[in-house]
Amino acid sequence: MSLKAFKRALWVYHLNTGSCNGCDIEILAVLTPRYDVERFGIKLVGSPRHADVLLVTGPVVRQMVSRVRRIYEQTPDPKLVIVVGSCGIEGGVFYESYSLAGPVDQIIPVDVYVPGCPPRPEAVIEAVVKAWVKLEKAEQGVR
Amino acid sequence: MTAILEFGYVFWNPIIWLVAFVVVLVIVFFFRRQGRQDYKKDTAQAQIFLCGEEVPEAEQRHIRADNIYWGLFETLKGYYDQVLRPHTGIVNDYILWFVAVMAISAVIILIAG
Repeated sequence: MSLKAFKRALWVYHLNTGSCNGCDIEILAVLTPRYDVERFGIKLVGSPRHADVLLVTGPVVRQMVSRVRRIYEQTPDPKLVIVVGSCGIEGGVFYESYSLAGPVDQIIPVDVYVPGCPPRPEAVIEAVVKAWVKLEKAEQGVR
Repeated sequence: MTAILEFGYVFWNPIIWLVAFVVVLVIVFFFRRQGRQDYKKDTAQAQIFLCGEEVPEAEQRHIRADNIYWGLFETLKGYYDQVLRPHTGIVNDYILWFVAVMAISAVIILIAG
């Protein structure tokens, strides 16, 4: 699929909501020379205000609820949310823990789910590409 | 006609300076216009990003210049607590201190004298 409406590079903000760091390491692997997503224009940024996509890892602990909402609100539209890892999807190994307010889709709307504990870098890349296609369709809808 | 001032290795010409300034200004505005225009004003999208923390009021997030001396004040806290107590900011107190020191000095001079 060629991009016609969403022509710029895809900037991604990585948000850890209480992850064990397993998924975060896999996201880091996506940036390493073996996978090197920056060659496709996919770039991690340091602020949600610059981002098109939120990459969320972790099951959302109670302390993070207001932060997650605020970061979601600070991301400019059109925006998409990708949840990476089982914890963010349904709690994972932290399922029914006293400290959880998640999973992520109970706090903010989620567009793409990447199951796994942790998911492989290829799965993360596929999710980002799916998000990109969804953004392209959203941009086309606006125009 | 504007003259070119020469100082050995360098020169100064106001016209060249102005032209260079305008060129830099145009380049700066070009890059500034590349920024995203589609964010929603008067929403959280225009707020400062503080790692998801609530953004305090400007007065509360301002760090005073004397904050740079925090370590010094904290280390010498015992000394400063004693010294700052007499510094009330009331002129009457300072005059009282002055009179007291003068009186003690006068007594010492008279005794020693």
